[in-house]
Parts: sequence; C-alpha cells; structure tokens
Amino acid sequence: MLETLNNLMLGFSVALQPQVLMYAFVGCLIGTLVGMLPGVGPLAGISMLLPATFGLDPIIAVVLLAGVYYGAMYGGSTTSILMRLPGEAASVMTCIDGYEMTRRGRAGPALAICAIGSFVAGTLGVLGLMLLAPTLASFALRFGPPEYTALLMMGLLVLAYMSGGSMPKTLAMAGFGLMLGMIGIDAMSGYTRFSFDVVELADGIGIVPVAVGLFGISEILMTASHQMGALPKTPTLRELMPSRTEWRQSSGAIARGSVIGFLIGIIPGSAHIISSFVAYGVERRLSKTPERFGQGAIEGVAAPESANNSAASGAFIPMMALGVPTSPVTAVMLAAIMIHGIAPGPTLITERPELFWGFVASMYVGNVMLLIFNLPLIGLFVSLLRIPYSYLYPCILAFCILGCYSVSNSVVDVWIMLAMGGVGFVLRKFGFDLAPVALGLVLAPMLELSLRQSLAMSAGDYAIFFQRPISAVMLGLGVLMLLVSLKPLISRKRDWRSQVGLDDQA
Amino acid sequence: MGSRFRGNDGGGVTLRRQFFEVLAFMTESTSTPPASRGLRSDQVAGLMLIALALYVGWMNRVYPLGTLAEPGPGYVPLILAVFLGAMGLLVMIAGGKSMPLAVMDWRERWRALAILAACGFAAYGLERLGYRITMTALLVFFIGVLERKHPARVVTVAVGFAFGTYYLFATLLRVPLPVSPWGV
Repeated sequence: MLETLNNLMLGFSVALQPQVLMYAFVGCLIGTLVGMLPGVGPLAGISMLLPATFGLDPIIAVVLLAGVYYGAMYGGSTTSILMRLPGEAASVMTCIDGYEMTRRGRAGPALAICAIGSFVAGTLGVLGLMLLAPTLASFALRFGPPEYTALLMMGLLVLAYMSGGSMPKTLAMAGFGLMLGMIGIDAMSGYTRFSFDVVELADGIGIVPVAVGLFGISEILMTASHQMGALPKTPTLRELMPSRTEWRQSSGAIARGSVIGFLIGIIPGSAHIISSFVAYGVERRLSKTPERFGQGAIEGVAAPESANNSAASGAFIPMMALGVPTSPVTAVMLAAIMIHGIAPGPTLITERPELFWGFVASMYVGNVMLLIFNLPLIGLFVSLLRIPYSYLYPCILAFCILGCYSVSNSVVDVWIMLAMGGVGFVLRKFGFDLAPVALGLVLAPMLELSLRQSLAMSAGDYAIFFQRPISAVMLGLGVLMLLVSLKPLISRKRDWRSQVGLDDQA
Repeated sequence: MGSRFRGNDGGGVTLRRQFFEVLAFMTESTSTPPASRGLRSDQVAGLMLIALALYVGWMNRVYPLGTLAEPGPGYVPLILAVFLGAMGLLVMIAGGKSMPLAVMDWRERWRALAILAACGFAAYGLERLGYRITMTALLVFFIGVLERKHPARVVTVAVGFAFGTYYLFATLLRVPLPVSPWGV
C-alpha cells in the first residue's frame, strides 16, 4: 500500500507540472466538444488528434488523448439531456430520462448529477486502475504464448457475448477484422500477404484509417441529410442544484453504475456503451418504482453516465497492464504510446513508472477539471451546436481526411479510410456491429504470433491450451460465454442481455 | 430486425435512429417487418460473408500452409476464411426472419455515394494540388453544391477552414501537409 502511495506521489509530481496540466485541460475541452458533436465521438476525435501528439513527450501525449476520451464521455451527456441528441453512442440511455427531465424544467439537476456522477465514477475507476493494473501486470509476467492466445480468444468471445444481438454476426465481424489484420508482412516468415502490390500495404492496415472510416465516415454517410433540432434554453448555475430527494435517489445509482461500469470496462468490446445500457437496465430492475423510468427518473441519468465514465477508466487496465487493447479507443491510444518507442505490457509499470503513475494521476486531475469547468461552461458548449449540421459534417469529413493522412503521410491511408467508410455504411445497413472489426484488426498480429508460437512449442499439439492452467481457465470462460449465449435459442427465454436492452433477438 | 441498442465508438450506429430504437424498447413496442417473399437481409449478408471467405481462401492459395508444428503464413488466414464462411452460413440459415431485402431503407445511398466520390477526389488531389486547394474545393462542393448555401458563406467557410487548419496543423503543430507545385 505504501509503495502504491509513493508511486502515486511520483505520478502527481508528473501530472501537476504546468505543461501536463495544460494538456490535460486541452484534452478534456476537446473531448467535451467531440462528445457533443454527433458523428465525431471519442474515437474519431482521438484519431484526428493522434498526429499532433507525435512531437510531444509520451506522457503528455497519453494524458492529452485520455483527456479527450473521458471528456467525450461527459460531453455526450449534455446534448443528450438538453436536446435528446446523444453526441456519442454511450449517451443514448441518458437521453431517455435526461431529456424528460429537461421537458419538466429539471435540466439543471440532470446536468449536475451527470457531472457529479461522472466525477465520482471516474475517480473510483482511477482508484481501481491504480490498485488492479500493477497486480494484473505482475500476474501477466507468467503468461507465455498459449496464455496470450487464450486471453485473446476469450476476449473475442466475451465481446461477442456482451455485444448482444446475433452472435454469428458479431463473430463474423471479429473474423473480418482479424482478416484485415493479416494484410502485410508476416512477422515469422517474411511473406507479404494480401498486399495487391501496394507498397504501403506491406506494413499492414493501420487502426486509425479503419476506425475513422468505420465509425466516423459511415456515421456521416448515414446522417448527412439530417437536420438538428432547435436549441433549448441552457440552465443557469443556480438552476443546477439538485433537490434533496434527487440527491438521495441518485447516490445509489451512481455507486452501482460506477461498479458495473468499471467491471465491464475491463472486458473487451465497446465497454462504455455496453456498461451504460447494463447500468440503466439494472437500475430499472432494482427500482421499487420502475414505472418512473422513461418519465424523468434521475437514476436513469445517474447510472448510465457513471457507468460509461467508470468503464472508460476500467478499459485502461488491460491496456496498461497487458498491452492488450479492449476497444478501438484504447487500441488507438496504444498506437500513440508505441509511436514513441514504448512497448506497453506487463513490464511498462516497472520500467516506466513515471508514465503509468503520471497517467493515473492525470486522470484524477482530469476528473476534477471536468467537474470544475464543464458545468459553468455548459452555455458555451451548447452554443457550438448552433452551427448547422450542413456546415459541420463537411468540416468533420475534412478533419477525418487530415487526421488519416497525417498519421503516416500516406494517401493510401485516406483511401483505406474511404473504403472502410463505404463498407461500414453497408454493414450498418445489414445490422452488423462494427466494434469487433476494429478490435479484430488490432488483435490479429498478436493472436497469430502467439498461436503459431504455441503450436511450435507443442510440436503442433492443440492440447497445449488445455494443459496449462491459466489458458485452460480463460478458454473455459470463453466457451462458457458461448454456451450461455446459446441458451435463449434453446429455452426460448429472454436472458439478462435482452432484459437490459442489449439483445435484438427478442 | 436490425441490431438494437448496439453501439460503438466514434458515434456508434446512427445515433438518432438508435435513440428511437431505445425508446421503442422502453415502451416494449416491437416492430415486426412486414411479411414478403424474396431474399432477407441476413440471407444476403450471409452470402456476402461466404463470398468474402471464398475470395480470401482463393487468394491464400499462394502462401505456404506449413505444418501443425510449424504453421506457415497461409495457416491462420485459411482458418479465418473457414471461420468466416461458417459464420456466414450461420447468419444465412438464421436469417429467415430478418428484414426483407426489398423493404430495407437505402434513401441515403446517392448522397453517400456523392460524399464518398468527393472524398475520393480529395484523396486523389491531396498530394497533387496540395492540402489547401484540395480542402477548399472539397468544402465548396459539400457546402455549395450539395447543401446549396449562400456563395459568400461557402467561400468564407471553405477558405477559412482550409487555411486555418493548415496554419494550426502545419505551421503551429508542425504536422507535414502537402503543398501544391505553386506553393499553396
């Protein structure tokens, strides 16, 4: 414990440097704006900002990008509550009761509970990151190729389970992403695969063009002809204070949402989105008056907002401790660290303590900044939405092109982004979830290498995955998830996922 | 029925549509697609996946598979092609009750194609015409031609954005951006 405190002090000595503080603030500010704009979201925001971090110190780069991530988590809630317009997907659940509260003249308390819930959840999430990541990292030192293979397989199966909906569709998308990851030079044999004689493809396909194309461009293709609704009156500072009853009702929801969000955040997938759905569903089931949900229940705002912020912190645990991203956002952040020549993984925390603990401390600082600045600045942020969407989406597209091009100064990346935008548009039309594609792409090289190394270790015997206890447990868990997800098909009962709104197979 | 409540980063599925789907769920309303003959959306999706799997399998024939003890560069792609084909088959088989292909909403397709084509032009012109000229042309097309805004506003936004972002990224943040042969 004392060691943790000492390390945290080291982290604060880094995070409280004026330059780091400034970048944390800039990150939170950009993140809040990005979270508010429909069609941008944290992933596109981080991808666009990535080239600008190349010249920065690694800790500053990570602090800036992390600020964008959790700033976006908060920013998405403002438009959800005031305009029934979720700036990013994790805020969809906040719309339901948040906007209903606005209609009843309680927008102020909804926004305040949102900010406070986000702060509490973010802080608890950082505490969890601080305590769990070093433990997990020291445990991960026992991992060999079979364990990494099992971990990655388990991650993809859990993602398919948690995503809800059609498991074959989700797994197919993971397979598609893994296939994209096969493009480029094979690390073990030196063969260049599926490159179509394009020199740039020998390096493989980067996560940034794929992610920006799948999520940013396809979103704009779907929504470019839409118009935004009228802006509401933004509440004054005095109107923000929740009543005593609202405090009482939301405190439990914030606590539960934080825990749920954190636990789901560690699991691969679009954790912050899933967590907000699950937290809302759990709150509604636990409530003695579930009929209030959908009619402006403050718990319906507090729980999903706390959950998505806590999940954002939880997602950093496998990223920092194992070097394994659990979502497209953490994959881009991992790329940002690796660009600086730092290899994330179990040894990062011991070899670069100032980076890990500085990052942890900066998250505390970032949470405080979000709480202090965002509530008074709500009016300013909302005024950004006065920009008509017909002006906004062309600029977002131009930013996407700029961001993708500048990652490696390659027009090929822009072409890949556009192709992925078109593919994403069609896949969305057919009801596919796109997150597994991005995750599969990132995990593909790790999965292939560890699988082939494992087989080489065992002279081609697949039993190696079941003979080693850690990999056997992880594969067992993955298979268990697969079987549990098949249960509703056999028993024709709705499982918990459908009850909280994650399943479409009702 | 298409996916409900599933989201992702960077905006997730169409947010507004997703929101109304959430509302539909909250009110326990379900929309059953009208019965009709012909192919279903999931059947077509499954076929697309199988076609992709076959294509990857065919492309993979040039890479050595190796042995189990020493898998070659074609080993994992082949496993993935088989896996993708199997998932495609499952999606197709289970897709009998999905939305009929004929009722799928493709209203945005022409605008989407126009946007992609314009961005394609930008990708083509970026290193030939330079960042500022390409972005100005792109924004003039979007705001002036597609959105039909007032010419003065179009020029202001297009030129302001192209030159402003160039100054921010290339000059201040030192991100190398392409310049035209004429120095712009």
